Amino acid sequence: MITIDRVSKTKSRTRILYDVSFEARPGRVTGFLGPNGAGKTSTLRILLGLDRPQSGTALICGRPYRKLDRPLTTVGALLDGSGAHRARTARAHLRWVAASNGLPDRRADEVLEVVGLTSDARKRAGQFSLGMSRRLGLATALLGDPEVLVLDEPVNGLDPAGMRWIREFLKDSAAEGRTVLLSSHLMGELAEIADDVIVIDKGRVVIQGGLADVTGGHRTLEDAFLALTAAEEGGSW
Amino acid sequence: MNTVRAELRKLLTLPSLRLTVLLTWTANLMVTYAYAAAESRGESIGDNAALAPLGYTQAGFLVLGVLAAASEYQEGGQIRTTLLAMPRRRHLQAAKALALAALTLPVAAATAATSTLPADGATWTPAATAYLTLTTLLGAAVAGVVRRAVPAVVLLLGLYFIAGPLLRARSAASASYLPDTAALDPSRGATASIIWTLSALTLAALSLHRRDA
Amino acid sequence: MVSLVRAELRKLLGLPTAWIGLVLGTLTAPVIVLLNAPYTRRAIAAGTLTDTTDLGLRDLGIGLIGPMILGVIVVSSEYTSTGPDAPGARQLTTTLTAVPSRRRLLAAKTTALILVVAAQAAVTAAATLTLTQVLHGEHAPTPAPARVAAAILYWTLTALLAYAITLITRNGIVPLTLLIINSSVVSVSYLLTKVTDLAAYLPDIAGAQMFIRSADVPVEIAPLTAGLVMTAWVVALLAVGAVLFHRRDV
Repeated sequence: MITIDRVSKTKSRTRILYDVSFEARPGRVTGFLGPNGAGKTSTLRILLGLDRPQSGTALICGRPYRKLDRPLTTVGALLDGSGAHRARTARAHLRWVAASNGLPDRRADEVLEVVGLTSDARKRAGQFSLGMSRRLGLATALLGDPEVLVLDEPVNGLDPAGMRWIREFLKDSAAEGRTVLLSSHLMGELAEIADDVIVIDKGRVVIQGGLADVTGGHRTLEDAFLALTAAEEGGSW
Repeated sequence: MNTVRAELRKLLTLPSLRLTVLLTWTANLMVTYAYAAAESRGESIGDNAALAPLGYTQAGFLVLGVLAAASEYQEGGQIRTTLLAMPRRRHLQAAKALALAALTLPVAAATAATSTLPADGATWTPAATAYLTLTTLLGAAVAGVVRRAVPAVVLLLGLYFIAGPLLRARSAASASYLPDTAALDPSRGATASIIWTLSALTLAALSLHRRDA
Repeated sequence: MVSLVRAELRKLLGLPTAWIGLVLGTLTAPVIVLLNAPYTRRAIAAGTLTDTTDLGLRDLGIGLIGPMILGVIVVSSEYTSTGPDAPGARQLTTTLTAVPSRRRLLAAKTTALILVVAAQAAVTAAATLTLTQVLHGEHAPTPAPARVAAAILYWTLTALLAYAITLITRNGIVPLTLLIINSSVVSVSYLLTKVTDLAAYLPDIAGAQMFIRSADVPVEIAPLTAGLVMTAWVVALLAVGAVLFHRRDV
């Protein structure tokens, strides 16, 4: 369960989030949708305790991220990049992360297997391609077998097979009762897996609800999204 | 405890740290030899030969600290992984310092022994070991605030090797407040070393606690 | 070629660290002259400082950290990653896509570096020497133009030395550490001159004799020879760096 309550943030004098509130519930895939620079990543970073909000609260299972004990066993997060130092091998990276949360070393090999990187375990992160970096990031998120998954643009850089794989993986995770929150600017991608959708634009939540409600009278989620976010600019490209 | 273990693992799997240690040891041997050779040629350089090589090799330890801390912020954005895994930042900062000190101590002891023992300065070995360890922590703390390796190295080496000697030349007597006085005279500079390192670590902890990652 | 040099100049001057090098390098020597003025006056009055021909010129050596930083980051900035998204990506990839000929790229980089450092050295030398004349004019003779030119050359060659080493190591920390330690008061090179006379031919020891008269060295080298020795070092290291740069994958 993720609860974001009236979160506001100002960065170098520009207001980037205005009273953002929403929930992501267990057993459902929640899509966090918005154009580039709308505030998706900023919201997720606040949720994950990386940045501080000026006001408001962001809670995971009722607690702020920074107060979680062994956080990786509760939340798995994927932000841009792999989050690994370029000189370290994939396995060495996963092992120190595992150690930090008291997880056994074998978890490193298990998650490498899950994301299909077993044969690259001894490669250094700096030699990874974009797609492999994303897989390593995902492996890191899965280390603690968490009940909540927070993923920022997870399909970025993945090939078609990788995209299908992650789609199935996230659906299955939700079916097992996990909370899945993922951000994207790819409407088509979200429309296929999201149960609930939150649309954010220029730091404000524009609409939220079930996929069908948000799509509303529009033909597709994409139409609804463009109508909601581009309305005041009056232009499209 | 998990945090310290994770931080130790991180340090042990960084190739740049191993390379820094090797280069530092090589340089230390060369400088120690140079001092001994100069001495035997009857050329006095004027410093205490047991401690003088440390004046140079401390650079290796500053760099060691800088690389250990700056590696978090280098390409790949490892700091996010670190903060996601260990969100309690004060805890994290303490664990980082502890792990780095544990790793540096044997390296520092070996360095101190090689440069003090040939010059009959065995009594200085413990002090020199402590000094080099503190210097490494200071380097790490500064890099933790600056967050980038090259500027941190320029800042630290500029202060230690250019500004420091200039200040010392102006007023040798009152220069015991400098962080590296202990490298020349441990009995006089010990307090300064400890205070500088602790202040820098505090600043780094505050910076980590306050800033967005 | 002109546009390539302009691009490299723009790239260099767009780096915040380059400005640290520029400001630090330009201000250090004049500030030291200013701060040391009372001590220098007292030393001249007391008769402990008899040879005043190096006054001002000697202080120029302290600002060398500037050209060192510039020389290193011209190369090291190319090897830093462009962002967290792709830890393998480096600015050099972009650079080489824009300028595929590595020889032309190196030539442009070298030219840009020489231009920036020579300009910086000229400004610093003018400021430092003018200040010395104003403060100690009656004791310090105006240095011959050839010696001032040699000092500017020394700065430029030092930057090129840093640049060449960084081309070889592809990493800024190693050359910076080496060079900064070696520019301290008792440099490693100076220490080596106490061990072997050959050390007098190390680039920094030899190079300084281009413009400093009363140096404490085992072998006195004439200014012109000194310049040639230092240039030979720089050319040799640059050649190695260029060959490696040409052969290595990005």
